[in-house]
Amino acid sequence: MQSVEENKNKYKTIKNEIQSIHEFLKNIKLMSKKIIYVLAIALLIVTACKDGKKNKPETDHSKMEMKKDHNDGHDHSKMEKKNNDDHNHDHSKMENKTSHDSKTIEQSKVKNPATTPIINAYLQIKNGLVATDKSATAKGATALLTAFKGFDMSKLSGNTHKEYMEILENAKEQAEHIEKSPIDHQREHFEVLSTDITDMIALLGTEKTLYQDHCPMASNGKGANWLSETKEIKNPYFGSKMMHCGSVKKQIN
Amino acid sequence: MNKRKILKKIGLILLLIFIVIQFIPTNRNLSTQVLKDDFITTFNPPKNIATKLKISCYDCHSNNTYYPWYNKIQPIAWFLENHINEAKKELNFSEFGNYSNRRQKSKLKSIISQIKDNEMPLKSYTIMHKDAIITDKRKKQIIIWIENLKHTIK
Repeated sequence: MQSVEENKNKYKTIKNEIQSIHEFLKNIKLMSKKIIYVLAIALLIVTACKDGKKNKPETDHSKMEMKKDHNDGHDHSKMEKKNNDDHNHDHSKMENKTSHDSKTIEQSKVKNPATTPIINAYLQIKNGLVATDKSATAKGATALLTAFKGFDMSKLSGNTHKEYMEILENAKEQAEHIEKSPIDHQREHFEVLSTDITDMIALLGTEKTLYQDHCPMASNGKGANWLSETKEIKNPYFGSKMMHCGSVKKQIN
Repeated sequence: MNKRKILKKIGLILLLIFIVIQFIPTNRNLSTQVLKDDFITTFNPPKNIATKLKISCYDCHSNNTYYPWYNKIQPIAWFLENHINEAKKELNFSEFGNYSNRRQKSKLKSIISQIKDNEMPLKSYTIMHKDAIITDKRKKQIIIWIENLKHTIK
């Protein structure tokens, strides 16, 4: 009998507890809106504090900016003078324009077989563009990146190494873009890539017979070069739109 | 009633997650270094062009980003951190003077074509930054100036 009463008591206390929890929850319900407001405010404070912390070590920066602004505000006269100078320079520079951008290959003395995979991959890109085939062009770019990885540059020394590294860095970037771009962008990057590969051949040599071609209408009428393995002109900048625009400027090997 | 309760719980959980992620630090793109290789320092463009480049390009393509308050809140800050890192890998005006001449030239060419084709500044950026929009007139100025600059780099 005692145990039954004990159980009853226990049951009562549990019931009481449950009731109190219920009340607590009801209160929370009423409070929930308030809680959300409080949390929102806490959040704002947290972000503000974070800024405060972040800003402290960077006071130098804000000072720097202030200084910059100061200069911007006060150096008008100087700046304008510089602008005028720039304009003058620009004019003289304009006149020098023609000699630039279209490098021709010095006949490569070295019949270097090591550059062949790179050149073959480049020609794959070129032929993709001749066919106006975006995915074939992209595949060529992937092949070019692989070819660059496989090239052993440990034998290059001094200036040759430095120049090759610069060509490599730039050509890789072009290839990465060609991999993922629409065809008109592929053609823009191909123009830069052509300069890179041409310079690389001038630097390292090739065993292949190649033709350096020029189309005066490419690159918005500024003209652009490319390399081809065939003597016949097949234009990668326009494809079927202007397949035979251009001329052979130079034969290599 | 039950549905409401569940929705409220989900809301509260989301709010908690939102608060917790605020404590996860992100790297702010703010450099304290003197920028000797900076594009504007190196090439000294006319002031109107320099200002436009700073407003329209430098937030993502340099070592210094101006952060409005909403860009400091997660998860926007994460998204921005990634975005800026990508952008700087592609083109960093703060280090432009350090690029090889070859790279400078090809970057200038890409800048021209991006501006010409209205691909940069990004639409998602100009929606929030109306002053970053480049007018056609200003576009021409910038392109001519960069075109000339390109020809001075050997």
